Amino acid sequence: MTDPRVERRRREGRLGAKGRHEAGMSVFARLIAGRIGQAVAVAFVLATLCFAFVQALPGDTALRVAAARVGEDRLTPEITERIRREEGLDQPLHVQYGRWIAQLATGNLGASMATRKPVASELAYHAGHTLGLGLLGWLLSYVIALPLGFAAGLKPGAFVDRFTQGAAITLSSTPAFLIGILLISVFALSLRWLPPAGYRTTAHMILPAVTLALGLAATSVRVIRNAVVDVRAAFFMTFAEIRGLSSGGAFRLHGVRNAALPVVVFMALQVGYVVDGFVVIETLFNYPGLGDLLVKSLLARDVPMIMGAGILIGLMYAAANLIADIVCVWLDPRQRLGSRQ
Amino acid sequence: MTSVEMGMVVPRRRMSTGFVLGSALLSALASLALAGPFLPLADPAAQDLLRTLRPPSAAHWLGTDHLGRDVFSRIVHGAARSLGIAALCVVLAGGLGLLLGLVAAMGGRLTHALIMRFADLVLAFPGLLLALLLAGFLGGGIIPLMIGIKLTLWPQFARMASATAKVTLGEAHVEAARLAGLSNLHILRRHLLPPVLRNTVSLMTLGIGSAIMSISSLGFLGLGLQPPTPEWGAMISELLPYVTEAPIQMAAPCLLIMASVLGFTLVGEAFSARLSGMRA
Repeated sequence: MTDPRVERRRREGRLGAKGRHEAGMSVFARLIAGRIGQAVAVAFVLATLCFAFVQALPGDTALRVAAARVGEDRLTPEITERIRREEGLDQPLHVQYGRWIAQLATGNLGASMATRKPVASELAYHAGHTLGLGLLGWLLSYVIALPLGFAAGLKPGAFVDRFTQGAAITLSSTPAFLIGILLISVFALSLRWLPPAGYRTTAHMILPAVTLALGLAATSVRVIRNAVVDVRAAFFMTFAEIRGLSSGGAFRLHGVRNAALPVVVFMALQVGYVVDGFVVIETLFNYPGLGDLLVKSLLARDVPMIMGAGILIGLMYAAANLIADIVCVWLDPRQRLGSRQ
Repeated sequence: MTSVEMGMVVPRRRMSTGFVLGSALLSALASLALAGPFLPLADPAAQDLLRTLRPPSAAHWLGTDHLGRDVFSRIVHGAARSLGIAALCVVLAGGLGLLLGLVAAMGGRLTHALIMRFADLVLAFPGLLLALLLAGFLGGGIIPLMIGIKLTLWPQFARMASATAKVTLGEAHVEAARLAGLSNLHILRRHLLPPVLRNTVSLMTLGIGSAIMSISSLGFLGLGLQPPTPEWGAMISELLPYVTEAPIQMAAPCLLIMASVLGFTLVGEAFSARLSGMRA
């Protein structure tokens, strides 16, 4: 209790940002450290959960793996026993768990139980497709949401506002696969403008990306609208106009940056929707991304693959949150002064 | 009942269009789901392979699916299932969340940190992923589905309960109650629960909507309730290859999913708008 170092730390804590800067920890460093901690925790929990689930599964894992590898009809007890030895399934539980975590910690994700291909290379292939689709859908959603949200926010209660709100609430109440089915039936089956599913050409990406974008825009348009409404009603805007700025000038100088804050915070939350969305959308459109891989592995009970995909998705989520945190601090100097609490 | 309860928070005013539309949708769906088992409907699982993908007729109001099953009977049975499971999940998750949130708010600093960090950790997973992993590993079925959805829903209730309770605990009337020597239990019952429960109503209504979306998405992926069960998402996924031949059979479960989620969203938003006393 009387340790001078404890005393000093307590004083620094009370001194706030200045003290923390002296301690050598910038806001950015703390953000990054926090998010890396989150990412590690997510990976560890997923790994443990996966291990627990596998043990909880009814039936013999070795038998299931063997059946997936050689096919149900060519299955013999010898093959099952060989796989049990090869995969270490005959060891005691804590040994299997320790090996599992140690192997993961070195970055070795193992090989698919069904196809025997290394998990990492499969993940890299599918992650590329998902990132492409996710980015395209995300950009497209802001192409839709930014103009609509601004138009609605500048004239609350007008026709554009009411139309946007109605459309947004309807779309956000529609699961992604329904939006996709609707788009497929209109643009692929009736009009025949675009291919319904697959991934060979760029045209194949349009419908899934639009599906994702509509779902994303449905929520972001309301956030943008409310941010614009709030900022326009803020006192500093009135003050800027009293100072003699035109209302457009005031909005450019003070409005955009302030309105951008809630929108950016929201973008990070949206990554969660993107994940939900792409799992369903990729399955619907038969697009070879991470979501499709995850669902197929889940149906096949291919544990290393499930875990690899799950951890990668969790890490992508943490990374997106980190980027949003950094952008927020960059946009909002107040947070750099440590007044966040 | 709820509108009366809401009325105590802010001056009573005209019900919004969204609220009226939403409650109309919900009442229609609820009566469909509740009356379903008593209606003289065809067996939702009875196949008739001679009459597959038939258009609507007097015998089959919404036609038959690819196995000759009556689509109307299937969506009505599906309604009870989807709405019931969603409501049950949300009530269970809400109860758990409230309990943990209140314990966090009233307990010591360590309890608070433990519970809230655990909530953060769950929120660090993207929504459907946890439910998907659980449902996938434990095999489709009601129990894994419910655990998965419950698991993703409780943290928001815990956060809300703890935040609301923290604010209330700092208020003067609670301070006064404590100084007057009233017990923790009394403070909990008379001062903490009312504001927390008021906030729960809108969160729960919105939560049922998102639970319906999750249930149908999992069903669509083949990881929720398994196909012979009449579940809306699974029905859509089964009928997808026949969409051009059977558009009406396909549209029926789609519209019901949209209507029910929209109903819960509209009502939930009307509640929260009323609570915050701002936008209608």
